[in-house]
Amino acid sequence: MADTDRLQVRLVTPDRILVDQSADAVEVPARNGYLEVLYGHAPLVAVLGPGEVRFHGGETGEQTYSIGRGFVEVLPERVTILADSALKPQEIDVAAAQGRLDHGHQLYNEAGDDPEKYKQAEIVIREAESRLESAKGK
Amino acid sequence: MASILDLRRRIRSVKNTRQITRAFKMIAAAKLRRAQERAVSSRPFAAMLASILDSFKRRIEVYDPETGEIRHPLLKTREEQHVLVVIVAGDKGFAGAFNANILKSTLNFISGNHEKQIDIETIGRKGRDLFRRRFPAARFEQNGNGEESGRPERQQRSGRIEIIGDHPTMLDRITLDDVRALGEEISARYAHEEIDAAYLIYNEFKSVISQRVVIERVLPIIEFGQREIIEAQAMSPEERARAGRAAMTAGVSTMPGELEAAMKVYEDEAKKFGTAEVDYIYEQSPREILDAILPLYVISQLNHAFLESVAAEQAARMTAMDSATNNASDLIDKYTLSMNRARQAAITKEIIEIVSGAAAI
Repeated sequence: MADTDRLQVRLVTPDRILVDQSADAVEVPARNGYLEVLYGHAPLVAVLGPGEVRFHGGETGEQTYSIGRGFVEVLPERVTILADSALKPQEIDVAAAQGRLDHGHQLYNEAGDDPEKYKQAEIVIREAESRLESAKGK
Repeated sequence: MASILDLRRRIRSVKNTRQITRAFKMIAAAKLRRAQERAVSSRPFAAMLASILDSFKRRIEVYDPETGEIRHPLLKTREEQHVLVVIVAGDKGFAGAFNANILKSTLNFISGNHEKQIDIETIGRKGRDLFRRRFPAARFEQNGNGEESGRPERQQRSGRIEIIGDHPTMLDRITLDDVRALGEEISARYAHEEIDAAYLIYNEFKSVISQRVVIERVLPIIEFGQREIIEAQAMSPEERARAGRAAMTAGVSTMPGELEAAMKVYEDEAKKFGTAEVDYIYEQSPREILDAILPLYVISQLNHAFLESVAAEQAARMTAMDSATNNASDLIDKYTLSMNRARQAAITKEIIEIVSGAAAI
């Protein structure tokens, strides 16, 4: 490759490899806030929460994927994102996401005293909300 | 001796059967190609997850240095007294020994572990049919006031072996949401110490001519990235040869195709995922990362097993239907021969009658 200052990005889901291209920058939704990665970033591993992965520039152009949960490995020249699901905003089924959200709220209300149930419900709600949000963005 | 008319009828009927089995074979071949693609495409993800776990384990201790506690409930090992077995069978019959092999392996497993209490969870329509009649179902009762603790309470066991759940339609379309729900349920059961180990019994699909029944331990996770195969039942050489012939006539390649080759590259790279010889910054605490990664690992193993099993089912069906088609052809040949013989005999008889009639004059 002539242009070596490009980041190689890869987005992998259990179904297939969605993206394997170069980009100028990637934003990933780490658990504790969004993280933007440029070429030459220090090596890092992070848990990703529900949110949007955004690619900028390079072969990928501007692309957004709404992901559920996953991981990211950052190396100076390469970023690999593992996600349990990844959808483009226009692929999101708004009605289904809304249904999930309602289901989540219902779980939350029924959780009683069980902290584990609250955690579960929160995960469902957060995922559904993030999906709805990125669907609205388009 | 059967009359010509009888034989002709029989030939026609066998021909119809052959047409059906041949169609089944071609359908299975088409489905196999799709299932194979999906199974192969899921491999990089599984490999990456395994390698990141492996590297993670080398960097942090499984035991917390301060408290001496193990860091995650899914890593704890206990003496196996209650065991969960997840059985992945097919959706339909007409697949040779596919479902019978699963049943055989399961029963072997059960008799080999006679001192343990075993819960069975079946995947696939045939799985349910095979085991429903053999073992009683587990009974649950929602906890009285409902609001307190949400987990339904298990009733008194009615036998050593019980069926705890079935998922007859899961393999129709494998979606990650379904697999995730099951994986989380299994992890929760393990974390609540309702089970001490979880095993997976399924048909592993290596290639069209190589499938085997595998018993794999999913929980507890002892060695990351290492699939713990307890027992494997490989195909015999004759079965392999038959499968090879079936694949050839159905136009399914037995060699790894382009997709496999491409995936192999990813898989090899995937093995390096998260293992570079550098010091990573971990954004979150070890516990948090383990919390996120371990359930995903279980889910990925289940997903892998389901996809492989679907591909193996189609491959088994293709082989079985190819054998059936060949048998039908043999039968037709045999009947055609007998029919010609009978017809010849009738003609000869008539000639003799005419000749002897003429001689009598």
